[in-house]
Amino acid sequence: MTVADTLRVMLALLAMTSVAVICTGAAVAGEEQNRALHFESDIRPLLKAHCWHCHGEESELKGGLDARLVRSLLKGGETGASVVAGRKEDSILWQRIQAGEMPPGKKKLSTEELSLIGQWIDQGIQTKNVEPEVFSADIVLREEAEQHWAFRSIHPSEVPAIRNAQLAANPIDAFLLSELEEHDVSFSDKADRATLIRRASFDLTGLPPSAEAVERFVNAESEDAWPQLIEELLASPAYGERWGRHWLDVVGYADSDGYTEQDPERKWAWKYRDYVIRSLNADKPWNQFIVEQLAGDELLTPPYQDLTAEQADQLTATGFLRMGPDGTSSSGVDQNLARNDVMADTIRVVSTSILGLSVGCAQCHEHRYDPISQSDYYRLRAIFEPGYDWQNWRAPNERLVSMWSAEIRATAASVDAELADVSRQRTEALDAIVAETFERELQKLPAELQPLARSAREAKPDQRTEAQNQLIREYPFLNVDRGSVYLYLPDRLTGFNKTWDDRTEEVRKKRPADDLVMCLTEVPGQVPVTRVFSRGDFQQPRDEVQPGELTVLNSGDFRISPDDELLPTTGRRLAYAKHLTSGHHPLVARVLVNRFWMHHFGRGLVGTPSDFGVKGERPSHPELLDWLASDFMREGWSLKRFHRMVLTSNAWQQTSVRRPELEAFDPENRLLGRMSIRRLEAETVRDALLASSGQLVNKQFGSPVPVSPDDVGQNILAIDTRDSAGRPSGTVIPLGDEEFRRSIYAQVRRSMPLSVLEPFDLPTMTPNCEQRASSTGPSQSLLMMNNEFVRKQSEQIAQRIIRENGSEPRAQIESLWMLLFSRRPDSEDISTATEFLMADAAAIAAGVSPPGDGSVPGSTPAAADASSHVPLAHLCHALISSNGFLYVD
Amino acid sequence: MSHFTRRHWLAQSAFGLGGVAAAWYGSQQTGHAAPPKPSLEQQTFDLSVKSPAKPAQATAMISMFMQGGPSHVDLFDPKPELTKRHLQTFTGDIKYDNAGEASSRLFGSPWRFRRYGQCGMELSELIPCLGDAADEICLIRSMHTGVNNHGESINALNTGRQLRGRPSLGSWITYGMGTACPDLPGFLVLTDPSGLPVLGVENWQNGWLPAIYQGTVVRPQEPRILNLDPPSNLKGGPQDRILAYLKQVNTRHLERHPGETDLAARMQSYDLAARMQTAARDAMNISEETEATQRMYGIDQKQTEDYGTRCLIARRLVERGVRFVQLHTGNQTWDHHGGIFRALPDICQKTDRPAAALVHDLKQRGLLDSTIVHWGGEMGRLPVIQNEQNIGRDHNTYGFSMWLAGGGVKGGCIHGETDELGHKAVTDIVNHYDYHATLMYLLGLDQEQMSYARPTGLASLLDGQPGQIVSAILRNPPVETET
Repeated sequence: MTVADTLRVMLALLAMTSVAVICTGAAVAGEEQNRALHFESDIRPLLKAHCWHCHGEESELKGGLDARLVRSLLKGGETGASVVAGRKEDSILWQRIQAGEMPPGKKKLSTEELSLIGQWIDQGIQTKNVEPEVFSADIVLREEAEQHWAFRSIHPSEVPAIRNAQLAANPIDAFLLSELEEHDVSFSDKADRATLIRRASFDLTGLPPSAEAVERFVNAESEDAWPQLIEELLASPAYGERWGRHWLDVVGYADSDGYTEQDPERKWAWKYRDYVIRSLNADKPWNQFIVEQLAGDELLTPPYQDLTAEQADQLTATGFLRMGPDGTSSSGVDQNLARNDVMADTIRVVSTSILGLSVGCAQCHEHRYDPISQSDYYRLRAIFEPGYDWQNWRAPNERLVSMWSAEIRATAASVDAELADVSRQRTEALDAIVAETFERELQKLPAELQPLARSAREAKPDQRTEAQNQLIREYPFLNVDRGSVYLYLPDRLTGFNKTWDDRTEEVRKKRPADDLVMCLTEVPGQVPVTRVFSRGDFQQPRDEVQPGELTVLNSGDFRISPDDELLPTTGRRLAYAKHLTSGHHPLVARVLVNRFWMHHFGRGLVGTPSDFGVKGERPSHPELLDWLASDFMREGWSLKRFHRMVLTSNAWQQTSVRRPELEAFDPENRLLGRMSIRRLEAETVRDALLASSGQLVNKQFGSPVPVSPDDVGQNILAIDTRDSAGRPSGTVIPLGDEEFRRSIYAQVRRSMPLSVLEPFDLPTMTPNCEQRASSTGPSQSLLMMNNEFVRKQSEQIAQRIIRENGSEPRAQIESLWMLLFSRRPDSEDISTATEFLMADAAAIAAGVSPPGDGSVPGSTPAAADASSHVPLAHLCHALISSNGFLYVD
Repeated sequence: MSHFTRRHWLAQSAFGLGGVAAAWYGSQQTGHAAPPKPSLEQQTFDLSVKSPAKPAQATAMISMFMQGGPSHVDLFDPKPELTKRHLQTFTGDIKYDNAGEASSRLFGSPWRFRRYGQCGMELSELIPCLGDAADEICLIRSMHTGVNNHGESINALNTGRQLRGRPSLGSWITYGMGTACPDLPGFLVLTDPSGLPVLGVENWQNGWLPAIYQGTVVRPQEPRILNLDPPSNLKGGPQDRILAYLKQVNTRHLERHPGETDLAARMQSYDLAARMQTAARDAMNISEETEATQRMYGIDQKQTEDYGTRCLIARRLVERGVRFVQLHTGNQTWDHHGGIFRALPDICQKTDRPAAALVHDLKQRGLLDSTIVHWGGEMGRLPVIQNEQNIGRDHNTYGFSMWLAGGGVKGGCIHGETDELGHKAVTDIVNHYDYHATLMYLLGLDQEQMSYARPTGLASLLDGQPGQIVSAILRNPPVETET
């Protein structure tokens, strides 16, 4: 192609682009000469772009014309009616534009646009809907919304008929194949069983399959082996940890408050994490799951005491609304700003996770791309306002609710009384010692001074005479008190303190451990007013708004009562949650199934999972998306059912090898003519290493494993033993086996990402993670090469291999391949690995390198002395660093 | 793959996977960025030095990206008329974020301007150190992107378009030029301790270019690069053997996955990581610098310690042959919708001295001529007040300032003008296409040749957009007759 040709093509493309941008929905004029044009879809966008600024939006109408309604165009301005139905030549609107008089300035309408207007007038100035008497921005929003696919209601399509029906195991396949067949291609071959079990295990549990499971599945003869395997994986407790992690990403789960560098810990966030894991393992229907998270507290009655396990779960679920950064307990923050930021972040979490929209820009102004008004934003905010109530703020700790039963509360109260009693006795005893000390010291004074000294001690400090003050300066003992008495009787005080500390501790031990829940609740009877904040600034409150759904999403007449009479709380969130899960919401189910799909295939049908708005990506398969969404709702909002359907589709079981005929038109694999290979996520890399070495501790739930910086600045799993100035103390408190738990149980300190996870695109929760990145770079390679955890895992894997297979290299290698790659090595794998082991051993023996790392904890099996396990550890190190381990086919 | 080619490949050391793909997919192209080829017959992607298609005046670039939108009327673009009409109502046509609620009262800069250098460049009292470098820099006062949102305007300046997903400037430059330092990534990003700028990691994404052109982040605190040191029992021989074997294993794996550039990139990144173990530590070690140099960057002052250290590291990286270094300030640091009286002086104090020092230091080491230095954000600010209660200024992408230095750009030069109030660029307007065309020219990169084959056709940074080389700011502008 010559340069001139290129230019021509580009100019042509440019021209087309501008047409498409300016006349939404109005394609090339010539082709659609006879199409019926409507004001709302064809003409209004043009007038809005070119005319409304002067003829409508400003308070003073230029020439008296309002161009926002057909009704007002007919009424016209100072020069009479602007349009005359059926006669464009007589219409001032058309005349002035055609003459180039309007709009003023350089930017004119194109010929196509003008002819569109002319055509619309000639066709008789039709509108789609009956126009309102007065122009209303909301109606325009709603009508614009109808033009955008994601705001239209979900329309379940028929499963398409395809040429090769036998290739479709279920409707998913049929939808995908019908697109592929348009390009005269079909699915790729089915992947082999070893590939499938590894893929399925990582997909559903985030862990590699055991060698035994691989053997069993690869050799299984039953036709049901595949569905059986899926059932086993879905039943594994690890399933909830894997898919819970996905949800915690969009929720922005963290064990710290963030917002400031202090980043205070959130000691009770983990209960929400556990709630999510339990809910997923139980396959809790997602409509219920959403209602609980948005309004679990409103299903209960304050003051939330003596809850059943189920009720406690419902309250815990509202932790969803408490996950955003919260700086209101940190020092040095602007409280009002911080409070409003908590609300803004909460709205962002809700909108991106459930609505698939970023409504945030409407906080300060009308949304620039999506039909979301600023009032819309504050209507949404009003739903959460009673729970937050920024002018009657409750600090994070004040929002914790105790889960103690009446009995435990009684125990605690009696212990507290006892503690108070002990404390009182201690004070009395101490006062006695103070008095005794004073008397003894007094005796050391000359007798004539003693009365003055006594009076000086007894006088109030500000009422002492000069003589008394003088005496006190001379004899400081006159001021002896509880704090200074130890100076006179150090030994006695040491003993005294020990005795009373022990007594206190003995009582304190009887106090039941705290059991709190981090949740969002309302204060009954307290209903704050929500106002639109001019430019998002809380110091500039304007009109009051009532709670409500975004205009564009409210096709019916859904209303939220500002204060539900039947509930102790306002009921706003409960009403909203029920509306979202009613089965009629255009976004919720689409957004959910799209995310599920993304986690199965590496990419959503909509590639922007948290932006279904105008700027977001269009679905690659809109009919499939709607079919999945309606099927999901109709069949009980069951995620496990969704997994079964996806994993038994032929689409999911394809090989991942790229094919030239697909590359030619679909290198990004949007049409799914093959599977995409995927890199393990940060947590999965770590978990897979632990699973391979056998060190993984499958303890579920509970408070997180603490993260702390080590002396080189890496954040590791450890108990923080730094002193108050942040200097390392050198003390190491053993974690037991805690450091070998799955990554989901590692503490998420926003300011301290776990260093072994960070390079593999660990998300930072500010406030949440809409979609993970999958990058490749030297920081990941350096981690795999040099990180202490990775090195220890290579050693541990080597030791496990020796323990289970003895010292014979071939058996070792075969076992290693099963462990790390879920397949048998071929002859070249075996020969190159054997060569490596021999060469490495020879190099070590020749003293080329120092012997093994003595830092490996635990015992070394007798069969493996230093020289025999080190080469194997090196082999393991290379293999866990390899693409075969880090990617899933 | 034949035995020969694998040997050939294993023998490669300087650029590691410089030839994995070579061995795999055909002979390595040198001289230009890889030419487009049909789909599955993959191209060679590596970081080896590509000789530019045209004579290059610059071989490296440092971009100090000031995300948020520094207020040009308070820093770079004095407007006496604005001062004169202070607090009067602005009656012209203006685009606010929210037309209904913005103030239309003009707001003259509360800071004084004075002339600096022999060129007499007028700059604000907030950036006196830059004033001392006025004769080295070229101040462009007529920038324009015309898209009033942060993300989109960042994309315009950093990727060429408002859209998301396209390769960043650093990716294009390393794609087109490779890197002169085989021991460090060719594209390094120095992030701010307070966090990532708007768009986060997208600022250094490779988009649809192969993953080896992605920027590598240097952490804002020590250890700036994690896991840089091998333990004593792996260092040297054992690690070399492990990596050689790893390469063997990965090569076989890639054989089963033709066309996966991510897998090939990871193989390269192991080679690079191995070399970085010594090179990166060395590059980040600013204790090698004299006290005078450290002071020049303000490393001895708490205010300037962070940014100064990063500027100094940037110089050390470029000195070693790194192609593109980008320094970011934190999220919306320059987005002064309100509280501009306190916030603008504050951030100027943190960045002014280090940024000016970078120019001086490059100059005194003879590196300035070959290094383009860029300082600028994605927008400027409006001449009117936003937020009467807590004065600030709203977005303005219709006219704003940025400066360039070195790499063939004229020093002591002022280019372009905004209108009398600093609202819109009116004379010698420079948009993002022009900016990119000029950079490409300075780097000797041919716009058409520096393109990448996508299924939809050839794609490039400019993609046929009408970018004009801004000749007036160049020491050696293109010859007029050139087509």
